[in-house]
Amino acid sequence: MRAAPGAAAALLLWALLVPAGALRAQGTDEIRLEDIEKEIARTVERPYHLGGFLEFQPTLFGLDRDAAFYRLQFFDRDEGATAAQYDLRLRLEGSYRKDIFSLFVRADALTTQGDLDSESRIDLLEGFGSLKPVPGLALDAGKKVVKWGKGYAWNPVAFIDRPKNPEDPELALEGFYLVAGEAIRSFDGPLKTVAFTAIALPVDRDVNEDFGETDHLNVAAKLYALLFDTDLDVMVFTGGSRTTRFGVDFARNILTNFEVHGEWALIRDVEQAPINERGQAMRRVSDVMSYLVGIRYLTERETTFIVEYYHNGPGFTGGQMEDFFRFVEAGDAAFRSTGNTTAIRRAITLAEGAYGRPNPMRSYFYARASQKEPFDILYFTPALTTIVNVEDRSFVVIPELIYSPVTNLELRFRAAALVGEPRTEYGEKQNDYRLELRVRYYF
Amino acid sequence: MTTIALLAIALLLAASPAAALDGADILRKVDANLQPESFESYRKLIDVQPSGARREFLLWTLKKGKDKIAALFLEPASEKGRATLRLGDNMWLYIPGVGKPIRITNLQSVTGSVFNNADIMRLDYHTEYDVRTIEEQAGAYFLDLRAKTTAVAYDRLKMWVDRKTLLPTRIECYAATGLLIKTLYFKEPKPFDDGRLRPAILETDSPLYKGYRSYMVYARIKKRVVPDEVFTLDFLPRIETMR
Repeated sequence: MRAAPGAAAALLLWALLVPAGALRAQGTDEIRLEDIEKEIARTVERPYHLGGFLEFQPTLFGLDRDAAFYRLQFFDRDEGATAAQYDLRLRLEGSYRKDIFSLFVRADALTTQGDLDSESRIDLLEGFGSLKPVPGLALDAGKKVVKWGKGYAWNPVAFIDRPKNPEDPELALEGFYLVAGEAIRSFDGPLKTVAFTAIALPVDRDVNEDFGETDHLNVAAKLYALLFDTDLDVMVFTGGSRTTRFGVDFARNILTNFEVHGEWALIRDVEQAPINERGQAMRRVSDVMSYLVGIRYLTERETTFIVEYYHNGPGFTGGQMEDFFRFVEAGDAAFRSTGNTTAIRRAITLAEGAYGRPNPMRSYFYARASQKEPFDILYFTPALTTIVNVEDRSFVVIPELIYSPVTNLELRFRAAALVGEPRTEYGEKQNDYRLELRVRYYF
Repeated sequence: MTTIALLAIALLLAASPAAALDGADILRKVDANLQPESFESYRKLIDVQPSGARREFLLWTLKKGKDKIAALFLEPASEKGRATLRLGDNMWLYIPGVGKPIRITNLQSVTGSVFNNADIMRLDYHTEYDVRTIEEQAGAYFLDLRAKTTAVAYDRLKMWVDRKTLLPTRIECYAATGLLIKTLYFKEPKPFDDGRLRPAILETDSPLYKGYRSYMVYARIKKRVVPDEVFTLDFLPRIETMR
């Protein structure tokens, strides 16, 4: 039964790599101007676009059977030392434009088959219409990702976006249903651009129900300026679904190859409810700050370094997280000795909330180094990423190889090793390591 | 008598093109002959590997004035929708679905080509370079150009300009260390949408990438002036609506 996805993977790889040889054989230095002109004329005349990619991703998880999150997930069964998973994803993107109106849709069809989980689903990631009467004025309505913030791995000022996965921050996100108006003005002088964005985001039982408290109309606004070659944003969010919050961000190239960026957010009336080791919650409401500072640096040898420090204001302290892990241990011990699932089930509920979020603690360090085309291998980029939990010194290391042997085919191999002592974030994750291959063909 | 002598000298000077044009004038004319100050264009980037394998990118570009340029990738599918924006020394890359536009540098290459971002989003040469010396050579002017600021991609350019057409035929690009980074060859002049003769093919090779060649093939260059607001970060995700 487990062999079938592997065979499918081999078949898919073969199907994708065969055209590679064919294309290589075609390679000549001939430039035919007439052919290129005809090709461009065809592209120019099309008012629509349909494209996307087909992706196959087998993943092998090395499970940590002593870890808290393993015990929460599989407290009443043993899943062994490893688990395999096979994801097949079809991403479709389409756009159409006529005069001042345009339409954009991005959707995923995903099938997951694996030892731990199997599911199939279709997700509309984005789907919105735009009216643009003049270039400086636009109105969008529909499901959209807003993309606020300058950070690479985290965006504390992205008040109306879903959080990125810091281990893979370039993955497309799912948007929320909203109406957004945008006005842009350009100037000569040190202030080159000013842009204002206003957003209305309704939340009820059927629309954006996972955003926050239902039956509210939330509003958000952002003012952007390009001033003295520095990107600056000021943003605000208010409404009943989430508490009011304010933010600023900036990005600037200090040198042509050295960029600095930062974000700061003040979140009002944040409710925090950490538990003690007996599972008793201590509710507290306060204003908290989150911020991020980072750099992006490109060397002469085309190595790119991205380094960021992230302070997650609403996150748990090391002590609070340790208490949670102790509570899980106690709940697991109680289940094993008496069969009583009360405590472990409460811990599972907590893990589905704030304790189970990616990076639930206060301070993180992110570093990524990627080398473009080393050893003269064209379209090959190896990279090494690490995320360190600064408080408990646990971390994940992610070596990665990306290669595009032919146009529109991308292969990515990744490993992730999660390292940490007991009762630390990465030490208590469900997996010790992860190996994944992603084969993506764009069309 | 003195008046006649001065008039004769003036006429002689006017008859000699080298004397009539100084380096800065020639460079301005080269810029005007290569592309209008504000335009849209379609071009293809072709990267050829030593094995002969090639990879092609189709770009649509908008430029306005001295320092505003935006480029949108139309093909291949893996790059479709990527857009770059340049405002003076500031450059950004927008990747659909990823996030806000990120700042990039002019020496990077968003395509993996011998052409870097500064080549793909080139401003007029006279905007970024001063002419240090000019020499007359057989059928050509030789211009020695120095970057006006350290933010410019190449510290020094050696430019050979055809005397009849005032179009460049070859440009060597050097780093501040004196290292030759690449050579650009301007080929196949043809009349474009406004009737002007311009090189349709820009070829490059580099001692840093031995055996690799890249071509920039212009199929359309058309005068077009769009509002300044098009060249802004917030507009970048919508840039295709201007096509």
